Amino acid sequence: MDIVIVVADAVRASVGPLGAAYALTAIGLNLHYGYTGLLNFGHVAFLMVGAYGTAVTVDQGGPFWLGILVGVIAAILLGLLFGLPTLRLRVDYLAIVTIAGGEVLRTVIRSGDKDSLTGGVFGITQFATTFFGANPFPEGEYGWGRLAFTERQLWVAVVAWSLVALATILLVLLVRSPWGRVLRSIREDEDAARSLGKNVFAYKLQSLVTGGVIAAFAGMIIAIERQSVHPDTYLPAGTFLAYAVLILGGTASRLGPVLGAVVYWFLFEFTDGFLRGAISAGWIPGASSRRPTSARSE
Amino acid sequence: MPADAVFAAEAVTGSRKPDAILVVNGMHRSFGGLAAVDVGHLEVQRGVITALIGPNGAGKTTLFNLLTGFDRPDGGSSTFDGRPVTGLPPHRIARAGMIRTFQLTKALAKMSVLDNMMLAAPHQRGERIVYAPLRSAWRHQERDVEERAGSLLEKFGLADLRDDYAATLSGGQRKLLEMARVLMAEPKMVLLDEPMAGVNPALVESLLHHVRELRDEGLTVLFVEHDMDVVMGISDWVVCMGEGRVISEGRRRSWPPTKR
Ligand SMILES: Nc1ncnc2c1ncn2[C@@H]1O[C@H](COP(=O)(O)OP(=O)(O)OP(=O)(O)O)[C@@H](O)[C@H]1O
Ligand SMILES: [Mg+2]
Repeated sequence: MDIVIVVADAVRASVGPLGAAYALTAIGLNLHYGYTGLLNFGHVAFLMVGAYGTAVTVDQGGPFWLGILVGVIAAILLGLLFGLPTLRLRVDYLAIVTIAGGEVLRTVIRSGDKDSLTGGVFGITQFATTFFGANPFPEGEYGWGRLAFTERQLWVAVVAWSLVALATILLVLLVRSPWGRVLRSIREDEDAARSLGKNVFAYKLQSLVTGGVIAAFAGMIIAIERQSVHPDTYLPAGTFLAYAVLILGGTASRLGPVLGAVVYWFLFEFTDGFLRGAISAGWIPGASSRRPTSARSE
Repeated sequence: MPADAVFAAEAVTGSRKPDAILVVNGMHRSFGGLAAVDVGHLEVQRGVITALIGPNGAGKTTLFNLLTGFDRPDGGSSTFDGRPVTGLPPHRIARAGMIRTFQLTKALAKMSVLDNMMLAAPHQRGERIVYAPLRSAWRHQERDVEERAGSLLEKFGLADLRDDYAATLSGGQRKLLEMARVLMAEPKMVLLDEPMAGVNPALVESLLHHVRELRDEGLTVLFVEHDMDVVMGISDWVVCMGEGRVISEGRRRSWPPTKR
């Protein structure tokens, strides 16, 4: 096994578009959970409506930029849908509604047939041609050896990390402002904030929607990178992965989500590559690189 | 002196008062079968210190919750400064100028003393999400707010602690911070739920001094207190509750004798 290749692949994954998308996902969640104390267990649904908003619009013949706008509007609407009925109640209600609402929405998207708006289980593909058409990087390999990206991957990665930078700056500005001060007071004691004249409900709703829109961009990046949306990408486990990334990097910290995403992808790919290599080198006794089913049938 | 106006009010339960800032009518609230609050008519006079006394479980805190929107009455209404406020959410009532404190202090422990203060300032532009990222839109106001917070902290003897987390304050200091924070919100009337409870005697003096000062600056104070020495020491009017009802009310007797 070549450890250099394993490390290179892991680095590649963590600085690539997916690393950036996970960072954005966690930045949105950080605003919800880290700074406001909202328990959003349906975060992955924001990625889903962002991705589908774009894909469906383009698939129906709309321009790509309109697709992005539709994705953003869809995330705002989803935030209102989750927040309006629950944010006046105890925190648990948001948790229940988000986890259930996200799954219901996913099931609805999934249930259409091939010719429906969402493409059902077939999803939608090839909707980001405009995006790749705008690629300023000429065809070729960028980077060194295993660490090289194609011009397409590089273009997505550059856009994605730019969005991460923008979102990080926006969040720093927001949480350092008096608005952020109110958010921190809500996280600690809602009643104290209320007693001082703060409209806690409105702040929570603003936080939920803003973080949701940031996550919608993450959904768009993942969809664009693959040129495909599929309902099974947005299983509830995705939300918990986002929590893992956020907690790994540190909640309520400025660079936590970015750090968490990079470290997560590095560890994930490294472990994967290392174990594969170890198995094929015979370092792990009893393990076979072949699938267990075929091993049993022998 | 506005406090002398209490002599114009008759010392009977539910008495009408000249220039009442808060008027409560037929307000009741029960938990299960228990009538926690059942107040027929109560008026609180503007610009004076009114003490609300009564045994444990008399319904004093529940009445505070009903008045400030933290709980909803089963019936009845209240008007504050001429406006009906029953049914309004707490933040709207607070913005109308009636600010309350809690029996268990709600100093925000994970925020600095200064942040606790600055949070309370009303009408902050930077608290609106559209302006929040634009520092230039709220920088000047923020500086004014900080200045005002600083001078209030000075007055309450907390200036040296401004950058410390509120968690590091003693119980008494937290009560002081809460009172200073209430003022930061620029209220017309303050409702203090046991502001002296658990405070050491040295600080009680200072708290009493501040409460008197509030009145002298024209604020209306309604406060819950168990210590009768404190009640007799500073209040102009005393309302006594028992089992949810207002049992009696009247001027503070001239005890202990004062120079007035
Ligand atoms: N949320 C609630 N649910 C059920 N019963 C309650 C609730 N809040 C208050 N009570 C009851 O209502 C009655 C009045 O309580 P309240 O806290 O208003 O009294 P209080 O006069 O403030 O007493 P204390 O001097 O001990 O603070 C008590 O019998 C209390 O047990
Ligand atoms: Mg009480």
